[in-house]
Amino acid sequence: MFGPKTFYKKSLGSKVFDWLNFIFMLLFAFIMIYPFWNQLIVSFNEGVDTMYGNLYFWPRKFTFENYQYVFQRQNLAKGALISVLRCVVATVSSLFCTGLLAYVTTIKAFKGRKFMRIIFIITMYFSGGLIPTYLLYTKLGLMETFTVYWLPGLFGAYNMLLIGSYIAGLPESLAESARIDGASELKIYFKIIIPLCKPVFAALAVMIAVGHWNSWFDVLLYNSSGKWDTLQVYLRKILLQAEQAAKLQAEQKMYEAMKNLTTTSIRAATTMVVSLPILFVYPFFQKYFVGGITIGAVKG
Amino acid sequence: MFKKKDQTQKINAKKNTFKDLLKSFWIQKELWLICLVALVWVIVFCYVPMFGNWIAFFSYTPGKNIGNSTFVGLKYFSRFFSLPDVKQIMRNTLAISTLNLTIGFAVPIVFSLLLNELRNGYFKRFIQTVSYMPHFVSWVVVASLMFTLLGSDGILNDILLKLGLTKEAIPFLNKPNLFWGLITSANIWKGMGWSAIIYISAIAGVDGELYDAGSVDGLGRFGKAWHITLPGIANTIILLFILGIGNILSAGFEQQLLLGNTMTQETYEVIDTYVYRYGVQMGNYSFATAVGLMKSAFGFALVLIANKLSKKFTDMQLF
Repeated sequence: MFGPKTFYKKSLGSKVFDWLNFIFMLLFAFIMIYPFWNQLIVSFNEGVDTMYGNLYFWPRKFTFENYQYVFQRQNLAKGALISVLRCVVATVSSLFCTGLLAYVTTIKAFKGRKFMRIIFIITMYFSGGLIPTYLLYTKLGLMETFTVYWLPGLFGAYNMLLIGSYIAGLPESLAESARIDGASELKIYFKIIIPLCKPVFAALAVMIAVGHWNSWFDVLLYNSSGKWDTLQVYLRKILLQAEQAAKLQAEQKMYEAMKNLTTTSIRAATTMVVSLPILFVYPFFQKYFVGGITIGAVKG
Repeated sequence: MFKKKDQTQKINAKKNTFKDLLKSFWIQKELWLICLVALVWVIVFCYVPMFGNWIAFFSYTPGKNIGNSTFVGLKYFSRFFSLPDVKQIMRNTLAISTLNLTIGFAVPIVFSLLLNELRNGYFKRFIQTVSYMPHFVSWVVVASLMFTLLGSDGILNDILLKLGLTKEAIPFLNKPNLFWGLITSANIWKGMGWSAIIYISAIAGVDGELYDAGSVDGLGRFGKAWHITLPGIANTIILLFILGIGNILSAGFEQQLLLGNTMTQETYEVIDTYVYRYGVQMGNYSFATAVGLMKSAFGFALVLIANKLSKKFTDMQLF
């Protein structure tokens, strides 16, 4: 893929550069991975022992205590369920609706095509801002509901353009012949467009789902009561408590049997629970999201 | 069957008259119905909040509407400039976003150029996969990692103590003078691999024959990177830079809320966190909307100017 590499003269300078580059990249990989590794060993180390520091590459007093404590809290299971539900509902509904809109706006014979595109493209450049949106959701009764997680993201102008440009690259005759056979547009969308658009749908699905999994501020803003807390918010609450370590330590005394726990170790275990699912999954979807970005770049 | 044919003929006639449009409401009613749903959604969730910005010009309290609120003109806009905090907020916003737009902007470019020089395909793929790992975790997770690494019993303090560089643990996250550096590092750590993807694909798009020609002309490795690869991705760089300039007043939001605390407030408070604090938490809706609106207008103007300048000097433009 990268043409030039075989043409370099293997001069001494070039070789030295190769080695330096290699070492630099190893160092780079270390900087990227180590913070996660550090958190992992802290999460498997006895909390009180962690406070003595000097924990570099391996847990000193190995324990499952931290995870036991974290999983025993019912909130966590509930938070995980809500997180997963949010990801699935929001991603599927958004892709279905945005894809349908993209399809409709690529039908050349459709009179409203340009109008719809412009109406949506305008929203890419102008938006309401935090306060008007907040006030609107209050008025619509979206506060403290699960709906607020998926309904405001049902259509997306940028994704509409991406899917649209993909559909425009498909042979027109497929939809046209189905139309002449009397198929409804929804049927064409289901039977022809969606199966053909799998690559672009997969790329966008990864991005949308990751966005929803990692989102926390909208939970704070629109679901402050804690009824629909996601995993991220759950972690953030522990994060805030860590700021007031003294206060929490007093609370910790209630858990007499778990006197080895500290806020740091509980936080580490929770962080791992929140981030590991995604860290395991993302390498397998690489080709999709790299593809997605490249489509966007060509388009933009 | 005959009717269908009739329909396609009508559409192919392509006379954009009003009559045709009216007819299409009936003939293409299924498409229009789908669009109706999308239209209702976009009006409610995009256009209503857009016009909801009217409260910046009125003295608004919840429950009121535009009819029974008093028009105050630009009162809230000028109030922002008379605040004692305004200098500090502007300074923080500009400092953090300037760091992002210089160092934070250059790092992914340098990284993608260096990555391009790696010869081993597997190693290259491994490095790239690792590079965007942090993009996939939330800022909450990044904040948690930083708390652990930089905390008083964290590893950084361990090393500093061992090397004798410091006598007692430094509470890095409570030091106002370290905040800009910390947040810039965090931004780079989290975003560089992801930002590099677009440059890497641009580098892959550079014509291979140019490199052959370069070899013939006696260009070395560095020469090729400088004279062929870099100019080859210059367009991408300029476009992204113009976009970045438009966001100069958006210096980040989640990371400030998570990493900042009362001790570092003097260096972390940026426009966005300020709007949140004053608008949502204290209920000064009109004032916070005015500040937010001013920010967007300024960003929009900056993009237009940057676009003009770029057109003039490099004949590259965004629109």
